[in-house]
Amino acid sequence: MSPTQPLFRDGLLASLPIVMGYLPISFSFGVAATRAGFSVTDAFALSLVIYAGASQFLALALLASGTPVLVAAFTLIAMNLRHLLYGPALMREAGSAATRRHAWAWAWGLTDEVFGQALGALARGQRFSEAYMFGLGLGAYAAWVLGTVAGALAGGSVLDGWPALGAGLGFLLPSLFLALLLSISSRRQLPVIAVAGVATVAGTLAVSATSGILLGMLAGALTGLSRR
Amino acid sequence: MNWDLFAVASLAGAANWAFRALPILARTDRMAPGGWLERFLSATGPAAIATLFAASILPALVPDFLRLLPVATGILAVLATFLARRSVALAALAGALVHGVTVWLFV
Repeated sequence: MSPTQPLFRDGLLASLPIVMGYLPISFSFGVAATRAGFSVTDAFALSLVIYAGASQFLALALLASGTPVLVAAFTLIAMNLRHLLYGPALMREAGSAATRRHAWAWAWGLTDEVFGQALGALARGQRFSEAYMFGLGLGAYAAWVLGTVAGALAGGSVLDGWPALGAGLGFLLPSLFLALLLSISSRRQLPVIAVAGVATVAGTLAVSATSGILLGMLAGALTGLSRR
Repeated sequence: MNWDLFAVASLAGAANWAFRALPILARTDRMAPGGWLERFLSATGPAAIATLFAASILPALVPDFLRLLPVATGILAVLATFLARRSVALAALAGALVHGVTVWLFV
């Protein structure tokens, strides 16, 4: 347990695992963007302005297939509704005394992985600080944008001769989520995790992947209500 | 610059910022200890990450042994590495590495 408030550099150091995970994933995104016919500037703009991995891959598919702008935008917005839950869950763990003066800025970096890492640190007894959140978020954001540009510059055919490498890079996202899940799991949360997983599968198979994600999160969180 | 892309990115990005920042600024975490909202929110973290894992692994689960094998070895590598080292990064990279090596050797 850390008795002092973690600093900006502590957050930057804590972002290294995310950086190592983000670089190959964002590189893959840059490659996918150029493969779909978008320019390096377009790929850079998507990562800089949206900064949400799964929905950026979805954005490529929607835009490349000619989906109307508003339909595409609202699909992406619905997909990221889950982010509404991250801030309150994090600040609840941080405690009522936690400052949030600069949350309008550092909260931009609250991606799935940054949220998981920050929540895991608090669960392990670390104190909350906005400087730490800035460091954690900035490291991850920089890696995401730089990885995208590198992938877009490398071009759409860079992985064609390396199917095993492409497969490994494609498996990074599920690996990262599983590792994050292991890092924040506890015995009392097992029902929540099980219900969320089953509801996600059911919603995806019955309706769509986006519905499955929303249903899984909602069903898991509602399961938490039944526990005392 | 693709202007359709810029419009979609701007709308989605603005919504992302609002989803991430506004609930914190509105202090929606202030609630009675042990209350229903607190229990709901304490379950949202594990629920969200479990959901994202299920959603990301689901497309790979097909009734084909050779395509399931790299998924199984990748998951086992994540579990084993996390249990041994307690590191999210090492576990994630080990999973991707073992998955890729299994594809290279068997698929």
